[in-house]
Amino acid sequence: MRKVFYSIMALGLSTSPLAAAELTVITAGDQNMVDYINQYLGPLFEKQNPGTTVRAVGTGPGDAGSQKILERFDAQAQANVETWDADVAVAHEKFVGPMVEKGYLEKYRDKIESGALVTRANAKMALGSNVDGYVMPMFNSQTALAYNPALVASPPKSYEELVAWAKENPKQFGYNGIKGGASGVSFVMGWIYAFGGDADKLMNGPFDAAETSKWNDAFASLKDFSTNATMTPGNAGTLDMLSRGEISIGPVWVDMFYSWQANGQLPPDMKLVLPAPGMPGQPMHYVIPAKSPNKELAEKFVNLATSPEVQAEGIVKRFNWYPGIDAKHVEAALDKETWAKLFTDISPEDLAKYGKAFPIAPYNTAILEAYERQVGN
Amino acid sequence: MPIPLIGLLLVTPALIIVLLLFIVPLFSSVTGAFDVDGSFGLGNFQKAFELYSSDMIFTVVIVLLSTFLIGLFSIAIGGYLTLGSNPRAVAILRWLYRWPLFVPFIVVGQILRTFLAKNGLMNSMLVEGGILTAAQTVSFLDWRGIVIAFVWKQTPFVTLLLSGAMASLDRSMIESARNLGASRTRILIEIILPQVLPTLLVGLILSFVTMMSVLSVPLMINAQSPTMITASMAFRINAYGDYGVANALGFISLLITSAAAWIYLRQTMKERA
Repeated sequence: MRKVFYSIMALGLSTSPLAAAELTVITAGDQNMVDYINQYLGPLFEKQNPGTTVRAVGTGPGDAGSQKILERFDAQAQANVETWDADVAVAHEKFVGPMVEKGYLEKYRDKIESGALVTRANAKMALGSNVDGYVMPMFNSQTALAYNPALVASPPKSYEELVAWAKENPKQFGYNGIKGGASGVSFVMGWIYAFGGDADKLMNGPFDAAETSKWNDAFASLKDFSTNATMTPGNAGTLDMLSRGEISIGPVWVDMFYSWQANGQLPPDMKLVLPAPGMPGQPMHYVIPAKSPNKELAEKFVNLATSPEVQAEGIVKRFNWYPGIDAKHVEAALDKETWAKLFTDISPEDLAKYGKAFPIAPYNTAILEAYERQVGN
Repeated sequence: MPIPLIGLLLVTPALIIVLLLFIVPLFSSVTGAFDVDGSFGLGNFQKAFELYSSDMIFTVVIVLLSTFLIGLFSIAIGGYLTLGSNPRAVAILRWLYRWPLFVPFIVVGQILRTFLAKNGLMNSMLVEGGILTAAQTVSFLDWRGIVIAFVWKQTPFVTLLLSGAMASLDRSMIESARNLGASRTRILIEIILPQVLPTLLVGLILSFVTMMSVLSVPLMINAQSPTMITASMAFRINAYGDYGVANALGFISLLITSAAAWIYLRQTMKERA
């Protein structure tokens, strides 16, 4: 049945007209991802390559957006479409593994100049799948605890300290569970890293079903902890409640925190802390479908997007993301002040020590489901 | 070409669209619910109950409570529109009550998200007015927020149907009851309400089915546990890419709405008979 559905969908997709030298970039993520391409990267690329136009298509925020991209590829693969309707896709870490395994992607990193500027481990392995060569990280993002210094004099430096603090200050810690965005998911993953056993094994695999039975105590204590916490509506909900003074600490995305502060949605005195043993972050990757209609142009586009200048100006300065390519190449292209701002609250050392990856896909799923079973239901 | 053939030809596009866009997806969703790794099984349902039983109860309770409140409010508003003695007040109410009809659910969710928060607009007004102190305020962004959003949005719809039915009643009965000294509440409950009950029921059932399908409101106001089935379905697909359990949840909510649809059908049959 699904095949029929997919082929009908693909028929609809393949019949849409394609103009010459039009580069289509589909991207998951919030509106800011589409804006980034439409307002900054697209015009820059068009200027360097006269006659081309860049068209950005957003598929929606969060994992749902990347899921849509994957399903779009599935549909076109199953209908044996010759050239696909996307030249470049931007997807979350969790979804590039399946795309590589299904053979949808072009292995292009060695073909572009900026490919040599990436050495970080998460550009080679994506949650347990080998994606080496198929992806270029657009940026790295990180979760951390945001707090209000007026209400939290000395912020908790570890999950243990947070638990003790939350006991003394009921309902002052807020998070968004796991259904309202990834900052809550990340907090839960960090909880399991802290109290549920072997973090390295969860991040690097291999998957072992026996491991999942070790989490029971951790989830029981998380359930206890959650009854004493405030539940917030979504990633933005946590920041909203923080800025209204309804909670005094909660997990947030670092880039969102800085952006909100920069445009005045969050008081300037709010701060960040990355507690031990760490919280996860994730990159978003540029990928090129193997059946992209403009492969060479697509490679050129990604090369520009991951060049030190664009990473400095676009990723770090405009959007407060951590760079996708290795930091040392970007630091050279930026003024000291902007660079320092990115590391105001969380030092590069802390980031290296406590900035974790998400667990590999099977553990990820198992933890989410265990949360639903033991904390949620 | 013979006339009946032309007629058939004319309805074909509509039929194809209904078939492709409605019957096929519905069928594939229902079969998908019973599809466990390619073979027939109840595994998806087992998992759905294991993980989301509290969400199912939550959904039914929330929607029933909302339906009940919508009924109450629409009777009150419809009653006042029919029996109100101050023409200016009736005119203002008639003009005002329909507004929420034109506001999409997602906007209702968005408005209430800031309005009902602990330090949101509502509590700020209450604190400013000296009715509450800052320490007494609570956030309504939980099940109460969802109920408020549903009632706010759906009451006008039911009221619209109900006040229409009330307006078309024979006034002579109301007048004679009034002449005999019956109070307006009594006229509303004992004379008007029994006559418009079928319309009220239909309005409430349509609201019930609409509310069962709303995703935006629970997502905006309360996406934690427990939450509405719709939010869990979305989560199942977005986080796990798991259509099986999502389909099973869809099938379960389909069963719940079918119960309502059955009452609706019985009602309309009775009216036609």
